[in-house]
This record gives sequence, C-alpha cells and structure tokens, in this order.
Amino acid sequence: MFDEKMLIDLQSTLGSSGILISFSGRFSQGIIEELGEAIMKHMEAEDRPRNSIYNVFAIFVEITHNIKKYAVSKLGSEFYDRIYNSGIVTIGRNEEGYFICSGNLIEKADSERLAEKLDSLIHLDKDQLKKRYKEQMKKDLPPDSTGAGLGLIDIARKSSKSMNYSMRNMQDLSFFTLTVRV
Amino acid sequence: MDNLFLEATKATPLINFDADKRIIFIKGQSYPENAFKFYDPVFNWIDTYLAANPSEIRIDVRLSYVNTSSSKCIMMLLENFEKAFERGVNIQLKWYCDMENESEVECAEEFKEDVTFPFEIIPELEKDH
Repeated sequence: MFDEKMLIDLQSTLGSSGILISFSGRFSQGIIEELGEAIMKHMEAEDRPRNSIYNVFAIFVEITHNIKKYAVSKLGSEFYDRIYNSGIVTIGRNEEGYFICSGNLIEKADSERLAEKLDSLIHLDKDQLKKRYKEQMKKDLPPDSTGAGLGLIDIARKSSKSMNYSMRNMQDLSFFTLTVRV
Repeated sequence: MDNLFLEATKATPLINFDADKRIIFIKGQSYPENAFKFYDPVFNWIDTYLAANPSEIRIDVRLSYVNTSSSKCIMMLLENFEKAFERGVNIQLKWYCDMENESEVECAEEFKEDVTFPFEIIPELEKDH
C-alpha cells in the first residue's frame, strides 16, 4: 500500500536528484504539450539562456513523441498495454546543467536495432551529426510514415555531452533508458 | 482560389495563405502528434496554387520551434517552392528569428542552405514573440 511515508520518500528522492518535472504513464499529445510548456516557463523564470531552454524543450518533445509513437506502433501486439503504460520521463537540473532522463519498455526484437542506431550516433561530432541529419532529411519516406527518422539525430545534436543509454531485461521485454544533458 | 486559414494551437502554427495577395504566412510552434497529417492541407493548397503558375509569392515564416517531423514537412514545402522558382516564379522568403537563440538561427540557416531562391533571415524583435 502506498502511504504518506512513501509519498514523503518519493518527494525527497525527486528533490535530492534535482528533478523538476516527472511523468510516468501513458503519454498523450496534451500531456506532452502541458509538460513542455511547464518546463519552458520554469527555465524562463530562472533566466536560463534561450538556447538551453529551446534545446531542453526540443529534446523533451522528440523523446516523448518517440515513446508515444513506438507504443502506438505496437497496437495489436500482446505487449501493447504494458508498453503504452511504461513510459517515464524526468527533467532535472544538477551542478552540470539540465538532464532529460527517460525510459520505456520495448520489444526485445527492437532493442538490437535501436542500440545499433544509438551506437552509430553517440561517437559522431557535431559536423558529422549535421551531415547525418541532412542525409536523413533528404530521404523519401514511405507514404504511411508518422515520423521522419530524424528524432534521435536531433537529440544527439542538441545534447551537450554524449547521450547514454541502457537496456535492461524485464521478463519478455527490455526496459530502454536514455539520458541526455544540456 | 480559396484562402487557407488555420488557427494556431499550442503545437501547430497559424497558417494564413492568401491567394489574391500572394502571401503565405506561417507563425507559431510546430510539434503536432502527426506532422504529415497536419501539413497535408498545406501541401495541397500550395500544390494547387503553384500549378496555376503565379508570377510571384511572398512567404513569411516565424516559427519559434519546429520538431523534426515538422522540419521534414517544411523541407518538402521548400522543395516545392524551389521547383517553382526554377520555372521562373518570383519567390521571396523571409524567415524571422530570435537571433539570441543559436538553435533557432541554425535551424533557419540549414533550411536556407538547401534552396537557391531569395531566403532572408531577419531578426525578430523580442516584443513580437
């Protein structure tokens, strides 16, 4: 049973980790818009540079859209509900700057492909990332596309340090986490 | 030809395309759930408009944030303008930017790199945000 002791512990964990905003559960477009606006207002009130505000907001939008689109793409899978409910994103601040840390369940079959894609981006410098972005931008997309395949490249471009990711086995699925710093 | 007007929302820009005045105006933020669906009527309007071989078009853009799938749609629009420009349509694009925001300026510059028609990046005054 969740009780007031656990609530206080949770709040204390959030506070000591520097977490400003966190959401766990099903992402809807409305929630993405509200949280995005909240983090932007918070950073504006703290007088952060426009560029940092923009980058944190952009990374948040790309990450949450990725999580949502992945979940929607699993419609009909036996894991659909578990995947859809598994999203979590936190945005926080520590002495190094802002961080966006997210997680969601993915099918094991997808984890290898995703890890390969991330590995191919993590070591690229800013010019190489720009080149990769432009190449992907010029590709023709299949007619039923819901994305342009640019999200992870854009996140890597806006991240001030290399992104970190992990994959952890959770029964039949993998829990994927991504940490990006601005 | 009918004008195209779409009211801005949190995640979609104001679209105001005026066929008689030959002005295409886009302003706001763009990160809808499905950018391709949102921009579909925009593509259709522009295809129809360009098919009539207008003598000129002015395009004013003030996009304070564009997510990646919207960027793809904007790139597709610019490619259509580029083709029209090559056919002799006089195209003038003004892209208004917060010059203090490097990422926003970079985004505008990268669009500019891929076209040859007149594409001007203009500082937006803060009070007009």
